[in-house]
Amino acid sequence: MVRILNTVCVALMGLSILALYHVSEQTRVASVELSRVSRQIVQEHSTISVLQTEWERVAGPARIQELAASHLGLTGTPAVQMSSFDSLPRRGDDAPLNNSPIAQASAQAAEPPAGRSGL
Amino acid sequence: MIQGTTIYQRRIVIGAVFCAAAFALVGVRLVDVTLFKPHSESIDPTGQPVIARGDIFDRNGELLARDLPVVDLYARPHTLEDKEGAARDLARVTGAEYARLIDGFNNTKHPYVLVARRLSPDVQDNVMHLGLPGLEFEPAAKRFYPDGRATAQLLGVTDPDGKGVSGLEQGLEPRLSESGAPVQLSVDMRVQYILASEVEASRQMFHAKKAGGIVMDVRTGEIIGMVSLPDFDPNFRKFTGDDTDHNIMAADRYELGSVFKVLSFALALQDHTTRPDEVFAIGNGYRIGKFTIHEAEHMPATLTARDVLAHSSNIGTAQIALRSGPVRQAAFLGSLGLLNPLHSELPEFARPLYPDHWGIIETATIGFGHGIAVEPLAYVSAAASVVNGGRRIIPTFLKTSADRRGAQVISPETSAELRGLLRYVVTNGTGRKADIAGYDVGGKTGSAEKPGKHGYQSHVLVTSFFATFPIEDPRYVVFVLLDEPHGTKETGGIALAGSTAAPLAGRVISRIAPLLGVAQKPVTVARENT
Repeated sequence: MVRILNTVCVALMGLSILALYHVSEQTRVASVELSRVSRQIVQEHSTISVLQTEWERVAGPARIQELAASHLGLTGTPAVQMSSFDSLPRRGDDAPLNNSPIAQASAQAAEPPAGRSGL
Repeated sequence: MIQGTTIYQRRIVIGAVFCAAAFALVGVRLVDVTLFKPHSESIDPTGQPVIARGDIFDRNGELLARDLPVVDLYARPHTLEDKEGAARDLARVTGAEYARLIDGFNNTKHPYVLVARRLSPDVQDNVMHLGLPGLEFEPAAKRFYPDGRATAQLLGVTDPDGKGVSGLEQGLEPRLSESGAPVQLSVDMRVQYILASEVEASRQMFHAKKAGGIVMDVRTGEIIGMVSLPDFDPNFRKFTGDDTDHNIMAADRYELGSVFKVLSFALALQDHTTRPDEVFAIGNGYRIGKFTIHEAEHMPATLTARDVLAHSSNIGTAQIALRSGPVRQAAFLGSLGLLNPLHSELPEFARPLYPDHWGIIETATIGFGHGIAVEPLAYVSAAASVVNGGRRIIPTFLKTSADRRGAQVISPETSAELRGLLRYVVTNGTGRKADIAGYDVGGKTGSAEKPGKHGYQSHVLVTSFFATFPIEDPRYVVFVLLDEPHGTKETGGIALAGSTAAPLAGRVISRIAPLLGVAQKPVTVARENT
């Protein structure tokens, strides 16, 4: 009985040693992998951060205006040519401006009358 | 049974118990580690620097400032065989000074020599291609500002160690450096860009030495845009030309001239010391003791109070200010915060200058903006307080949606009456060039002679324009300033605010109002379209 118990204990110990070694090795490999992935994540974050910053630079208003002017011929739009959906009449509503005819649908904003300068 | 066991059996049992206890311990530890131990995310296994300084965003989430990863380059001179060649190559690739490098390499006292700081990845690659031994790259961070000059004076910069040394970088230093959390400003980058480009265009057109502009929400106190020119490139630490990091809108004080009449009229209307239709004698000069107050240009013999403001009569305003008296005037300006430094998130501020003896003549001149010098931001805060329903508003550079208006400084009725006068200035007075299509703008011009060594200089001006819109229920104020503008052929050689600052404010408003969602006036639109 004791012999059997001894044998089982030794066998269990051996199996435990093997299992522990296996788990230890797996942990080490996982740790290395974790470090690699973490490093990669940091690098990716860094790259994303740089790219976001670069995007902000190239998509900045100054550059967009310059490109729009040089490639599309766009210039400053008078405020009167801009509107919002809220200001559009709903179906059945009177047309804007009390149904009065509009001579020009769009117009260059008129220069204000020349005024006397003063303090 | 125990008595029947041999000593070997007892040893085996004891050993088994130890083994079981050991396995149980390992098992408990495994369960603890795998199930109950929280994951630590602060561990950085890569050795990369933890970028602690927070990002800065505008009110719409656009990035304004961020730390980018760079490296500092160090060399160990004793490992370099050809020190002169190494110094020459490193100077060529990094831009470092050759003489400093060779001195450092030949100095045996120091084991390390700093070659260059904040190398970008491409420069780092070039250094690597040199194939020199004994070089070490130390991870670091460099603050980058995507919008460059447009936000330079407002945001300020950090020093090489990443500490804010000017602008909001300094003012928000605790928040940015300690928590590392991002900060969202009240600034709208679209408005900031428009303000910067228009102010720069006017500065060039009128050859002004300096110029600036502020856009502020009169209810929340948020600064939507702030520009001070000349500026500098925050990504390139060396100043060129007339570059400066001095923010004139916060760190300088000006005698602003006639824009102060807005405050004099607010006080007079509040105290009922005048009415808009009251007639004042103007004449050719107004004598107070040994001093005589003159107009900048010819005025009619009489003007109503409304036209005193519209045509910016110094004599009429002096009479109105004198009715308030020195004590009441000083108390009123004090309640608007103009007699104390303005403290905001910006570290820069200028203490106001005002007379120790606030007598009769001082009351008259301060009434039209001479004899008191304040920082432009403080004036904007005061003027916003009298048009926003009459409640004190203090500017902030942080995004907020709260109505931050404080104590009542004038009544809502007085504020409304004053806005009517400001609209009249733009439709019938000196501010007509700020009258734009689609929006009802109210405002006031200011042209102040600058003091020199021998008194005020008649042809050296600071011109400004204070505007608010939409005038019936203001949401925003715009203030622009030109320091020493010169008249042009188009203005007939006139450099006064009506020809220089007023049109600038009008252009700014016409561009930013649609972006800010301010509704257009259909009648005004129709007038322009037909």
